Amino acid sequence: MSAPPGSGRSGEPTDPAAAGAGADDDAGLQRATERALADLLTAHGWHDPVVAITGAASVGAQRSTLLIDIESEDEIIPAVAQLSSGIIAAVPATVESAVIELARTSGVPAPLVLAATDALAGTGQPAQVVSREPGLSIPRQVLRSVSELGTGAELAGECGTALARLHGIAVGAAPPGLDRLDEGDPFGDYCDGLAATLDDLPLPHPTIRLGVEWLRRNPPSLPQRQTIVHADFRTGNLLVDDGRLSAVLDWELAHVGDPMEDLAYLCLRTWRFGNDELPVGGFGPLDALRWAYEAGNGTWREDAFRWWMAARTAWWACGLAAQAAAFTAGLTDSIVLAASGRRVPELEYDLLNLIETETGPEGT
Amino acid sequence: MGDEPSAEALLLAMAATVADQVVPATSGGAAHAARVVANLCRILAREVVDPGDDVAVDLRVLLGADGRGDTERFEGVDTTGLLAALDDRLRDGDAEFAMEALPLVRRDVERRLAISRPSYLDDRP
Repeated sequence: MSAPPGSGRSGEPTDPAAAGAGADDDAGLQRATERALADLLTAHGWHDPVVAITGAASVGAQRSTLLIDIESEDEIIPAVAQLSSGIIAAVPATVESAVIELARTSGVPAPLVLAATDALAGTGQPAQVVSREPGLSIPRQVLRSVSELGTGAELAGECGTALARLHGIAVGAAPPGLDRLDEGDPFGDYCDGLAATLDDLPLPHPTIRLGVEWLRRNPPSLPQRQTIVHADFRTGNLLVDDGRLSAVLDWELAHVGDPMEDLAYLCLRTWRFGNDELPVGGFGPLDALRWAYEAGNGTWREDAFRWWMAARTAWWACGLAAQAAAFTAGLTDSIVLAASGRRVPELEYDLLNLIETETGPEGT
Repeated sequence: MGDEPSAEALLLAMAATVADQVVPATSGGAAHAARVVANLCRILAREVVDPGDDVAVDLRVLLGADGRGDTERFEGVDTTGLLAALDDRLRDGDAEFAMEALPLVRRDVERRLAISRPSYLDDRP
């Protein structure tokens, strides 16, 4: 598959000023963005909307997430605007919006899409405006709140239910613009994508390469059928309100593939944020996720779960390396993205442990 | 020898200053960036004190011992060049070679992790 890694969310809040380009241009840039978003909403049937940017939820290499107020017909509607940087190609915003809407109407908690475009006036980059749902998404805040409220198992179950609903959608209903893994050889296809990403990185990463070649030699069972996969379903992209799942965010990596990818990705050690004893996102036990997924008619394939854990660990190692490479190449001056380069060994360490758990310390 | 304080002492003092004074005085993205800076200072402090054992010598042996090249071919090649050569060899998908490379690869990952986040090494799933 071709969807490249490096969705560069830091998962932390950021000042609105950091969302723009140079500090001197911030005020002008902000006004231009507000006008462009108002025009976008007008094109989607809003009556004389006025947009005010009130803050930023997160800023990554790939997109910034801004909090906005929309004033229209004497009402002020709080919403969220997501602006892509265009540094890394992702699903077109209009296709992403169609997936969100399909998921939402199928019972997956997701925001309502208010407007979307593949080329926002001014920047020419993809943008979408969605409803602002209640809750927390910053990982450490989410994990603290869930731990205090004691809702970790329930939240893990809600994740299992949401994924079962997403994966239960007839794949024929998926928007045609979605990437699809090769149905006959999805695992080889995925490995080709990882290898191509490694080839594009300026520095050699033999540990990840070793992992990719191991993955290629050890494919799991095929899924009964391919499904829509969110592909970024993890702590940080889950909005949690009062300890419960409020909305699934950030659908830009959605594609058609193996449903077990979503369950495995949620359980990577890197998304546990130090709560290593709670494999589901650092907040819940694995059996709660699995039980709810199977109760929702999802089919759990253990071999694929473990394969995708290793595959997505390799993918995120590539993503972090790509963020550091973007800094080195001068595409960003973010210290957060620069620091990502020093996190690569964490993912490499996880990758080696996952491989050795499968094969023993000598196995490859 | 340079002047006092040492690079390590300065980096640790910088980390403490940023973490104890700048982080509490800021919020949002600036506070997050400051926390990241403090952590990078601690990483660099560990790196200047003990960067760990370079794997270049063992890489030359590994790459030269497979009958496809000779050890001399890798004389004078720096660690990055050797890692690129290792990457090339692993790309062939030779399972036996990957098995031979695994201990060395793990040692280098653990060396870098001991610098960037030593606490991560304690847990082996």
